[in-house]
Amino acid sequence: MKQSDRKWDKIVDELKLSRRDFIFSTAAAGVLTLTPRFASAQAGKPYKLGVLLPSTGTGANYMAHAIKGLPVAIAELNKRGGLLGKHQVQMIYRDTETKPDTGAREAKSLILNDGVDGIFGTYSSAVALAIQEIIHEHKVLHFAATSNSSKITQDNYTPYTYQFCPDSNMQSGAVVVAVAKMAKKNGWKSYVSMGQDYEWGRDTHKGFSTSLAKVAPEVKETRQLWFKLGETDFTSYITAIMAAKPDFMFGAIAGKDAETFLQQAGQMGLFKRVPFPGGLIAVNDLKAQRKTLPRGMIGLARCPFFAHLNEPIMQAYIKRDRAAFGPDGYPDDWACMYYDALGGLEQGAKKAGSISTAAIVKALKGATIDTCRGKRAFRDCSNQLEVPSYVGEVWDSPDYPFPIYKPDTMVVVEAKEVWTPTCEAVEKLKKKRA
Amino acid sequence: MDIAPYALQLFSGLSRAMVLFLLSAGLSLIFGVMNILNFAHATLWLLSGYVTYSIFTVLSQQFGASPWMLLPAIVCTVALMSLFGFALERFLIRHTYTRELPEQLLLTFALVLILGDVIKLIWGVENRRINLGVKPMEMLDTLVNPYQFVIIGTGIGVAAGLWYFLHRTRFGKIVRAAVYSRSMVSALGIPIPLIYSGVFALGVGLAAFAGGVFLPLLPMSLGVDHDIIVQCFAVVVIGGFGSMFGTFVASIIVGVVYSFSILFWPDGALAMIFLILIAVLIWRPWGLFGTELRY
Repeated sequence: MKQSDRKWDKIVDELKLSRRDFIFSTAAAGVLTLTPRFASAQAGKPYKLGVLLPSTGTGANYMAHAIKGLPVAIAELNKRGGLLGKHQVQMIYRDTETKPDTGAREAKSLILNDGVDGIFGTYSSAVALAIQEIIHEHKVLHFAATSNSSKITQDNYTPYTYQFCPDSNMQSGAVVVAVAKMAKKNGWKSYVSMGQDYEWGRDTHKGFSTSLAKVAPEVKETRQLWFKLGETDFTSYITAIMAAKPDFMFGAIAGKDAETFLQQAGQMGLFKRVPFPGGLIAVNDLKAQRKTLPRGMIGLARCPFFAHLNEPIMQAYIKRDRAAFGPDGYPDDWACMYYDALGGLEQGAKKAGSISTAAIVKALKGATIDTCRGKRAFRDCSNQLEVPSYVGEVWDSPDYPFPIYKPDTMVVVEAKEVWTPTCEAVEKLKKKRA
Repeated sequence: MDIAPYALQLFSGLSRAMVLFLLSAGLSLIFGVMNILNFAHATLWLLSGYVTYSIFTVLSQQFGASPWMLLPAIVCTVALMSLFGFALERFLIRHTYTRELPEQLLLTFALVLILGDVIKLIWGVENRRINLGVKPMEMLDTLVNPYQFVIIGTGIGVAAGLWYFLHRTRFGKIVRAAVYSRSMVSALGIPIPLIYSGVFALGVGLAAFAGGVFLPLLPMSLGVDHDIIVQCFAVVVIGGFGSMFGTFVASIIVGVVYSFSILFWPDGALAMIFLILIAVLIWRPWGLFGTELRY
């Protein structure tokens, strides 16, 4: 008889159980212990995820791919069992109409009526700032991945908000790096700024003009033009820019307005006379304006898929979206960042070992996560993900049915080069909350 | 003194003015004759833009891509949308004539939401645009979009056509008479319900025409109607409800003032329009070319 068998015999004798009874008892105990574990693996409490993005208003065209792509990504996650392999994610979508009042109303409704555990959104910074107050009050997890005013993670900081895109200062800082080089090369001395007259536009312009004044003080801004969101006719603005005869123009224009402006400016030949470096030209713009976008134009992007073709997450993501939405279904910047947000949620829950907001918030603090853009860490003083900005020249690639940024012209400006330099500076900006 | 920048600003102001006129003409006509404040006018314009886009795409696929395909696409859209407008008046708007203005506004606002969702269901949320391949042309030492001449020419042409229709045709004269006294027109044995349906169809047809004409200039997208309807109301109020000449003049005032404000006081460009609107509402509530009788 083996030593281990003798040991088991001794235990059975001490418990005054027959060998058969012992086998039955342990088998029953095992079944009873394992049953709840299997049961919870099959049907854990679902995780309700509110998605607040516009399908109307100026941001609708930018959010279209994210809105249709998130359910596909969530279905894929649920196929793996959901969060922690047992919490199925239920997506509840609401249209913010790109309006702060609508966004705030829908955020409240998602939290109070639907009882969501987390919110993804929004497109507009003005809407994001409006819903942050509600997020903070109700202690709900908030992943922002498009709205990028620096105020979201600094002045208006709340521990519940995590940011997955470069903020407005980081983006304008990236443009400054590119523009300063061009100004030196081309001898540029003056520029005109034009922007959307709301939170993000003003914030982006301030970041750009302040930073450019530091690195290239000889380059002066001669005129500012601000237009209301949803402008339909830019002709008067374009003739005013041409009349000012600047060496280049800076634009804080996004969404539908960017598309309208680029179309009308192209038709009026603005870019033949006035270079426009650093205007937001995301993948959706490259796709939508594939025939009309002036080649050689210098654009700015937040998460262009073609910059990270070597990342396995990006490769899988492109493959999946093209399978779901056809050969032209390459993900745009906005969908890519929300995909990263979903990945962040999954990894945060895994790290926390829980789906509770408090646990995920704690787990993600300063954490490094895997994204389409490689391994990226959250800045622990602001919850801003350390992600780069991309500046490059619009160019016809033989590999895609739309233009991309020419690889040898693309400048990838890392977060640390352009974000608020120290955490002390960030802390000073944070407003005091009740 | 270099006058070129001012001339160009005037040119872009006139282009903006004609955009506003083409949109506001139908709105003014419908309110002038029927006393219906059609909040859904810009949404009907937007819907027409999408319809034109689809017809243009089909025609280009069938007969080969050509900018000229826009013309039949616009004609088809105007015909379809006029019929839709006729039916809309017959089955929906007609029931509100005896109701208060807020109820009419609510009904037409409901149409804004319903048609917006219809657009979303059929065309999705992505912007729709057509590219005519127009190249910029040199003018006064700068570049302009030649399509702006088409817009200005079309605006003037539509204004002239409407003037001819309202002053030289029998139906037009009846419409003008209905602006002043519906009961008198009715007493003369003219079927007012038919006049109303016709006028509403004409107003929607004008919106449809504007939708097609703007398509090469402006991508059609959800929500753009909300942005533009406010300016249309400003134009119609300044010009005087029901006065086509007033709408034309007000469009030029609004377009040119806005354009020059961008040159001299960009932050206050929109405020300038509404300052004019306030001034008109205080000193001449019936509009520059409206009539006190109507008011």
